Amino acid sequence: MERTGAEILLRTLKEEGVDDIFGYPGASTLPIHDCMIESSIRHFLVRHEQAAAHAADGYARATGKVGVCLATSGPGATNLVTGIATAYMDSTPMIALTGQVTTNLLGSDAFQETDIIGITLPITKHSFLVQDPRDMASTVREALAIAKSGRPGPVLIDLPRDVLALRIKEEEAREPGFFNTTELKFGEDERIRLKEIARLLNESERPVLLIGGGVKLAQAFTELSDVIEKVSIPFVTTMMGIGSAYTTNGYNLGLIGTHGMELANRIIHQADFILAVGARFSDRSTSVIEGFAPLATIAQIDVDPTSIGKNIKTDISVVSDIRVSLKELLGLVAEKKRDDWLSRISKERSRIEMEGCADGCGPVGDFIRQVQGNMPEKTIAVADVGLNQIWAVRSWKVRIPRGMITSGGMGTMGFSVPAAMGAKVGDPDHEVVVFTGDGGFFMNVQELATIGFYNIPVKIIVFNNGNLGMIRQIQHHFYSSRFRDSRLSDLVNITEIARGFGIESEKASVHDPGAGIEKLCKAEGPFLLEVIVDEDNFVYPIIPPGRSNIEMIYGRGE
Amino acid sequence: MEKELKEHVISMLVNNRPGVLARVAGVFGRLGYNIESLCVAETGSPKISRITSVSKADPDFTEKVKKQLNRLVDVISVNELDDDRSVKREMVLIGLDVNERNRSELFQAVSILGCTVVSLKDSYCILQIVGTKVDVETALNFLKPLVVKDIARTGALALESEI
Repeated sequence: MERTGAEILLRTLKEEGVDDIFGYPGASTLPIHDCMIESSIRHFLVRHEQAAAHAADGYARATGKVGVCLATSGPGATNLVTGIATAYMDSTPMIALTGQVTTNLLGSDAFQETDIIGITLPITKHSFLVQDPRDMASTVREALAIAKSGRPGPVLIDLPRDVLALRIKEEEAREPGFFNTTELKFGEDERIRLKEIARLLNESERPVLLIGGGVKLAQAFTELSDVIEKVSIPFVTTMMGIGSAYTTNGYNLGLIGTHGMELANRIIHQADFILAVGARFSDRSTSVIEGFAPLATIAQIDVDPTSIGKNIKTDISVVSDIRVSLKELLGLVAEKKRDDWLSRISKERSRIEMEGCADGCGPVGDFIRQVQGNMPEKTIAVADVGLNQIWAVRSWKVRIPRGMITSGGMGTMGFSVPAAMGAKVGDPDHEVVVFTGDGGFFMNVQELATIGFYNIPVKIIVFNNGNLGMIRQIQHHFYSSRFRDSRLSDLVNITEIARGFGIESEKASVHDPGAGIEKLCKAEGPFLLEVIVDEDNFVYPIIPPGRSNIEMIYGRGE
Repeated sequence: MEKELKEHVISMLVNNRPGVLARVAGVFGRLGYNIESLCVAETGSPKISRITSVSKADPDFTEKVKKQLNRLVDVISVNELDDDRSVKREMVLIGLDVNERNRSELFQAVSILGCTVVSLKDSYCILQIVGTKVDVETALNFLKPLVVKDIARTGALALESEI
């Protein structure tokens, strides 16, 4: 039986569990699109390659499976770059397939040729150039294994057109080469370290658990919640860690860091012991590092050795699969009530609530809670980047694992709409609601066409404040209100634009959304709600650059 | 804060495939470390190469670079070699004009330094010196007054002396 490289590519992907690809064709990748006709893999034609990468990313974040995107050589491939970098920063398992000019033209500046492997070296976990169809199947398997293993990440496969078109006999396929996906073993050393962590936790009086994105990636939701319940430990999360533990138990203090909740920042500052799980202590989480949790002994569990002690010197660490570690830890820790610590926290919580800055999002916070009240419990929220993101992560109560999807590390504006599209394709049983702003929305507005074409029923909320809100807030506080280049305009009619794409749409005010929310929630197909927001609806408190997590400012005029 | 800089020798085994050196070099560059010298060649197995690099760097270097290199799919092992438990050698080729004035001095130098004359054509000669870094530098200093025309110098090659 003879098959082309493209046929082997799709067959291997399918065998390895890939059901969906987001992509955009070009001359170099046509052999693949030709084979799509016979393949059972679904291909979603996006309107810009960047959106293909974000959709694959959103798909992966919603399902835990590997997301796959496909673009042609040259500009198609370079358009993926922002999406690949976004996936890399948040450790999303992803395969980026790129077309390439024929092997005899490599390096000749041929039409639509670009060294995409070179361009993406620092933003991929690994990459491959397939130079022979006999290596196709093994390369695809290897790429998928690498994307999923350890700390996941994007892997790029560059596919010259002749390699895709060439036919080989099935038995000519070559075995995988020699690659090294580090098998993490949980051995005696790890057990000893974990015992020490358990001892520190048992002896601590004011422990706090710091949850990062690694918990989600390790699918360790239950194991983590078990530990939390057993030792009565309050927890804070990084932006990527949101939704990793069930939040109804009262231990959730919220997001920490620059845009974090006051309670979370104040409590972690008082902690005498911090257990960080799957978190890398990014600058957005710690603010100025010298001022972070000065009283605490810090322990860290992560699958990635490079995340240990990268930003903060931790006192003890375990490199291991997070799920395995947490299971083990559960047996080592002592059951505790911690009434003193928890009552101190609840006093702090009531004080902050009394002062009226629980979420600090103003009327937008109320609006988001109203939306959530009208949506099923198991709704996935997808937030863009900017004020809209901070509003969403502070006001939306995540009630399911993978219930909040947002670009944390890279902070990619324009991520939300295509990512939501991917999330909904991958997880059609859950409602998907997007929170974006009038800045980020336009960075991938073309995807409304894709959403309309495939009738992907995502619900999109565009907060329109006529400004780049976060930039405006920063200019207000730290640039003496010298607003410049942060003003968009009121001239654009977002509702009409959505209708132009064939998407049902309404406009509402944040103060009085009226029937807007109801229509949004009841819509069977895709729906866009434009919400007019005051341009000074900022988020408080916020931490000025160069300050510590407790040196926050609370409002205007400070 | 000025951190104390020390010479670090990293010896790694990597897959012998296209593009691997670029990935390895990228790790050093991204972390802001300069590679002072670099040697790459096939090992006993044609599938595996050894890369030996030398960097002058602060004490954080070892941990940061080792961890990031280990993350590369094509890197099989990474070792930092310390002076006490490893043997380091480098080689230099030195091209000189031989003339009436320096001839006797040159051959004196050759015998003192233990260099080998590896090429002598017309009046141009190439000397080879193999030794420790100090040996190589001593020789270069000694030969400088004799008008050295060209130098090609390897970086350090190193192997652990105890396993």
